[in-house]
Amino acid sequence: MKMNRSASEILADQASPLGEVMQALADWDQQSPNAQEITFGLSSNVTLGPLSIYLRRHAALCGVRLRVSESDYDNTLGDLDRFRRAGVAYVFCLPLFDNIQPAFEAQVASMEELELAEREAELRSRWRLVFESSRSFRQVWVATYHRMSPAPGADGDDPVGRAVRRFNQVLREEAASYPQVQLLDSAEVLACVGAPAAFDWRFYQRAKAPFRPALLDRWAHKLRVVSRGFGTYYYKVLVLDCDNTLWGGVIGEDLLTGVRLDPHEPPGSIYWRAQQEYRALERAGMLLCLCSKNNPADVDEMLRSHPAMVLRDDCLTLKKVNWDEKPDNLRAIAAELNVGLDSLIFIDDSPFECEAVRSQLPAVKTLQVPAQLAEYPALLQQVRELMLGGGVAAESASKTHEYRQRAAARELESAAGSREEYLRSLGLRAAVIRSDRARLPRISELTQKSNQFNLTTRRYTQSELAATMDDPCADVFSVDVEDRFGSAGLTGVVVVRYLPEIAEIEAFLMSCRVIGRGVEWAIWPAIIAECRRHGVATIRAAYLPSAKNAMVADYYQQLGLDPLPAEGEPCWFQASLDSWRPPEAPWIECQYHPAKAKFQHAG
Amino acid sequence: MPDNQEERIKRVLGAVLGIPPGNIPPEASMDTVSSWDSLRHMNLILALEEEFHISIPDEEAANLSSLPLLRLTVSEQLKEV
Repeated sequence: MKMNRSASEILADQASPLGEVMQALADWDQQSPNAQEITFGLSSNVTLGPLSIYLRRHAALCGVRLRVSESDYDNTLGDLDRFRRAGVAYVFCLPLFDNIQPAFEAQVASMEELELAEREAELRSRWRLVFESSRSFRQVWVATYHRMSPAPGADGDDPVGRAVRRFNQVLREEAASYPQVQLLDSAEVLACVGAPAAFDWRFYQRAKAPFRPALLDRWAHKLRVVSRGFGTYYYKVLVLDCDNTLWGGVIGEDLLTGVRLDPHEPPGSIYWRAQQEYRALERAGMLLCLCSKNNPADVDEMLRSHPAMVLRDDCLTLKKVNWDEKPDNLRAIAAELNVGLDSLIFIDDSPFECEAVRSQLPAVKTLQVPAQLAEYPALLQQVRELMLGGGVAAESASKTHEYRQRAAARELESAAGSREEYLRSLGLRAAVIRSDRARLPRISELTQKSNQFNLTTRRYTQSELAATMDDPCADVFSVDVEDRFGSAGLTGVVVVRYLPEIAEIEAFLMSCRVIGRGVEWAIWPAIIAECRRHGVATIRAAYLPSAKNAMVADYYQQLGLDPLPAEGEPCWFQASLDSWRPPEAPWIECQYHPAKAKFQHAG
Repeated sequence: MPDNQEERIKRVLGAVLGIPPGNIPPEASMDTVSSWDSLRHMNLILALEEEFHISIPDEEAANLSSLPLLRLTVSEQLKEV
């Protein structure tokens, strides 16, 4: 007899049979009445069988209750219509190439080019319709086409492979114009399971249900990754231990010549590979920090002089190399970077240190370097999935440089005389840019990530922002900031709705990288000018308290708006445009670009 | 042992169809249990295969529309293993 396990334990166990998973889900639902709820729609040209069960399983493991609207058979447009009426937020389409027409893979081999081109054109227009009618969803994931039959040998002709690639090209081209649509690579998901475990020809023949549980579970896992745990996490900072995490051995004892980091010899090669992976994450926009109990001089020498080191000083945003407790160092890192503890992933080889952090800072995601070093690459894969999730917007890449500029600016701050003198010395320039579509990805990303300087914590998808930009009664302002140390890029967003007589600030948020320099005051004259153009007399704004945005609780009052008497949340503030004078920040040169424009660089 | 097997089949049946195993009559079938539709039937076959580590042949899968038939097939498959 099996031991009695809790619902969560059964759900977490990959080997749990389907029947137990279903019972555990029912139990979990009952035990978690207050779990956050998310709605998901599934659509396919075949029957997806128990996919919804596996999706609910992965969501429950993130503490989220998923309500799933199932797919009708081969009616994606109808599905979307139904999902819209049901208020579905997220959609996943999993089309099967072989069922585009019955036994399509077998047909393709003898198809004339003209016939295939007709199919392609029909698919193109159908996907365009589907994407067009999916604008109202927060996010739509579409799996690329894949084959069921094995590929021929290396030198064999492969009409199926060619047709799959061709139709996927259609998908890519059509999806490119729709910010809410993201394609997911079927080949990658299939490769994780292998064809024999992926397809069930028995149910495919009888019930058009071609996918085995193993593959469906893998898809559910993939959706959990790309949705960042169904929206439950967003990691930006990777904090690394040094000894036996970045290299083998202990630098303080084994010295530069004794630590293991040979790219060609294990165990050094395993650490060297890990460093390569960490550097790749840094290039993708994540911040790397060190947190190590060591003599700083030893670690610095390692960073500077070891010939095989991949990570050098220029990849690292902060180094906490000292004999303090790691939880204290992690707190300090979060404070100095102005991010929440729940933005941090911490990696250490010591079970003792990992446990100390887990127990004292449960918000930090703590991962232990496996005792079996051969399993280290699997951990790295997990880190990559956790941090990159659904990919990153281009401008996010390599943030380290910006944060380091900011650290340099801090040093200058302590040296300079008065605060204003210091701010003047920075040569700060801000640009307020109105409704520029080219900036959609980065604007959306900032609304998803900013927690502290965020007045309403509204998260916007790219499609919501695009619709707001197109709305004549609304504007999306984005703010670029630069100083003499370099450009901080897009660091602020203001969303304004023009109602009759009143302009309402629906969202205002800024990246923590630029807070405290007066940019939060300097941008308002530009926005007031736009409000005047719309003929409104009053500006109104809300502060919606969250767990993290206490720092802006009195922001609107400091801005000179009057609190409106009201019970509960949000707190409303307003001012008449004629009498309102926002605080000035004369040390900032602020330009306004009403139309699409880039920052005007002087010199 | 057969009692235990009956219990396991009922537990899977209950989980898939969303009814307490205790309420499943020994002669339950697609005709008498309203939640036992063709989609759930497929999940039921998959779940039984995983529970007992058996493989139910194609020609039988669709026809196992009652608890007595499921009982019979599971026993046969277990003997073959």
